[in-house]
Amino acid sequence: MNKPLFQIVFTDNSTFNGGNYQNTKWVEIPNKKIRTLFYLLPTGDYLGLGGYERFYHFVECTEDLSGEKKGIKNLEFDYIIGQKKDYTTVYQIDLKTGCIDLKNIKNDDKFLTKLNPDFWR
Amino acid sequence: MATLLKFLVNIVDADVNYATTPADYGEVDLTNDYLIWSKTLADLMTHEPTSSELNENAEIIDPAVAVTVSKCLWMNYSHEIFGPYYTHLVKGMGENKKFVYCFSFDGATATEPQLEAWDTSAHATAVKNVLGLGTPANSMMKGVCTTTTLPGANWAGTSLAGASNVVLLNDGSGALSGAKDLYANMKIKIPANYSTPAAETFVLTCRYTYV
Repeated sequence: MNKPLFQIVFTDNSTFNGGNYQNTKWVEIPNKKIRTLFYLLPTGDYLGLGGYERFYHFVECTEDLSGEKKGIKNLEFDYIIGQKKDYTTVYQIDLKTGCIDLKNIKNDDKFLTKLNPDFWR
Repeated sequence: MATLLKFLVNIVDADVNYATTPADYGEVDLTNDYLIWSKTLADLMTHEPTSSELNENAEIIDPAVAVTVSKCLWMNYSHEIFGPYYTHLVKGMGENKKFVYCFSFDGATATEPQLEAWDTSAHATAVKNVLGLGTPANSMMKGVCTTTTLPGANWAGTSLAGASNVVLLNDGSGALSGAKDLYANMKIKIPANYSTPAAETFVLTCRYTYV
């Protein structure tokens, strides 16, 4: 059985499991305060994130309109983001190489202000 | 579920949108279909164009003025809709028309979808002649977002090449809050007296996100 993309523990100790890249279930996360989020890495291990005010997640893909791989949805990057009062931590996972890039950015960074605000959890 | 993209071309009337007049659009089967940029290749061919036909109908470089490739045709491999035809002229390509190339998303996105051009499906380089030989501003592939407004007469557009020269498909308005049809117009403009005639393939890519 495949591991869930993420596992969440809420402050009331209840839990929620995510899905996979085709159906992440991010929008189905109950509207409760998250205490810890465990996110699946390409290695099969989970990255634990705690102490954040809120979280965001999205998958970046490309779809070629021409060329030899046209019509195939290519998963490029996976982002898991945790926000504190003063700054935001962005993990960018390269789904082709497995490399992970970590950045701490200000909460008013353009990268964050351009995100769809509906999907913070 | 992951947000899905449909790519459609207008083959009837580039003044009407997909939502109100879906019959004017053909959905490009991205696995089997493709776009052909040509000077004189015929609309409504009853067979898939051969290499010879593509070469015979190629655009001619002009020694004095820049040339916009005359036609873009949708090569419809299944030729099961709109009659038994393989080629369909894309209406409004390069003109002051709004509803030409449609990017139809069935759900929300986390960021704004964008149109890109690359040498290959690796999305690593943009150094072919058509993409400006490594200088994105010199790319012959021009694109303009027409989701909200007409592009204007003789529109210049963005020279598409690589990660820096892209077209934001929601007109810079950001992520999609739900299902939405986005539009763009495209053209290939060959500089006057361009010194390297070539038959080049390149990759047009739509980059988008979902939660």
